[in-house]
Amino acid sequence: MIWVWIALAPILGGLVYGGERVLRARMQRRLGPPFLQPFYDMFKLLDKRTLIVHAPHALLAVAHFFALWFTVAAIFLGWNLLYIVFLHLIAQMLLILAGYSVRSAYSHLGANRELLMLVAYEPILILVAVGLYLVSGSFEITGMIQKGNYLAQLPLLFAALLMIVPIKVKKSPFDVGEAHQEIVGGVEIEYSGVFYEFLYMSRFLEYLFIYSFVFIFGGESVWLGAVLVAGVFLLVNLVDNATARVRTPQMIKIIYMAAMPLAVLNLVWILR
Amino acid sequence: MKFFIPFRKKSPWILHYNAGSCNGCDIEILAALGPKFDLERFGVINTGNPKQSDIFLVTGPVTYRSRERLVERYSQIPEPKVVIAVGSCTTTGGVFRGMYNVEDGIDRYIPVDVYVPGCASTPQLIIDAIVKALDILEAKSKEIEKPFKLFGAIETIGNKLSRLNMAKKVELHEKN
Repeated sequence: MIWVWIALAPILGGLVYGGERVLRARMQRRLGPPFLQPFYDMFKLLDKRTLIVHAPHALLAVAHFFALWFTVAAIFLGWNLLYIVFLHLIAQMLLILAGYSVRSAYSHLGANRELLMLVAYEPILILVAVGLYLVSGSFEITGMIQKGNYLAQLPLLFAALLMIVPIKVKKSPFDVGEAHQEIVGGVEIEYSGVFYEFLYMSRFLEYLFIYSFVFIFGGESVWLGAVLVAGVFLLVNLVDNATARVRTPQMIKIIYMAAMPLAVLNLVWILR
Repeated sequence: MKFFIPFRKKSPWILHYNAGSCNGCDIEILAALGPKFDLERFGVINTGNPKQSDIFLVTGPVTYRSRERLVERYSQIPEPKVVIAVGSCTTTGGVFRGMYNVEDGIDRYIPVDVYVPGCASTPQLIIDAIVKALDILEAKSKEIEKPFKLFGAIETIGNKLSRLNMAKKVELHEKN
């Protein structure tokens, strides 16, 4: 049964992304695209002619997608949370290598920003894993979701996680990595056709990755987890519609001066 | 494949290029993309990246400086692709027709599928043009489409087509 869910993970993420586009449109009081729009985009991209810069560049996008899929599979199977964070790091490194492997200036700029985003959110993800371990006594996700009330003991850590969700799903205050018209998609710029589709689908998997961290905070109660995910989803989209993009150094400053102390404070409070 | 062809109509991603326009038509295009006219309900995304676009929206009479960029951007869009000339200047040169520094519309350089009149053309007209362009996009094949001027040959490296020379300037171009 779990293998079916793992196989369907990109489709699940696509539904989340489609729902999000509709939700954002409704927040701006417009009709928005159809709910299945991401799949229409995918089928269209399959049919387009593909322009390739060089073979390793195209291959790195595919590798990035499958590494990310493996990460999401590890989450579904309930493996060690620290492993999962580092597996995700490997996937991101493949993407950054792809960005540096072509001579486009925008691609380099995007890869730089992707690296800086990694610097911003990676410590928080590890601190979240450590915090969950300190409360539950286990790094395994299967062990974590058998204990309750994380939210009562780790409220500040949850706030820190909340601040890095927009970085991961590339939403507005912290969407420097993609930055639509500014650096034209960053590392995505030289991709087209089928290979762009892999990057497009890996975005769906990023949604599943970061929202499953939110879900773990629900603990043993699946309903609390679902409510948390829905609430964070709404909040992130609301903030996305209401704010402008900050610059990359500002983003790192905000995360290091607001989210990091919150997370550390929470850990100190538990260990006391 | 025949299965994929209906999906061309459902997710047209547009690329907008300003070939020396006065920004009147550009503002109208942005208005069409904005919340009031909401082009996104057709699945349109303003990508800004030629390699991922289907529809090429051009505004402005082509100025002498912008024509190389125009041809380069056109040749970077993978097929199937559709070109829409937005505004009087882009279709005929408009009030600038015959001036020394403009090229009297884009159809001297690239094949145009839909012409939109108006100075500036309204968002309603632009939406109509895009809906018209969707039918053309669906009917198109995946043949390589070339710009009329200013391009090098498409060469074959190994058994792959290469467009590296396609947008390179080949000769000093005389104004028509």
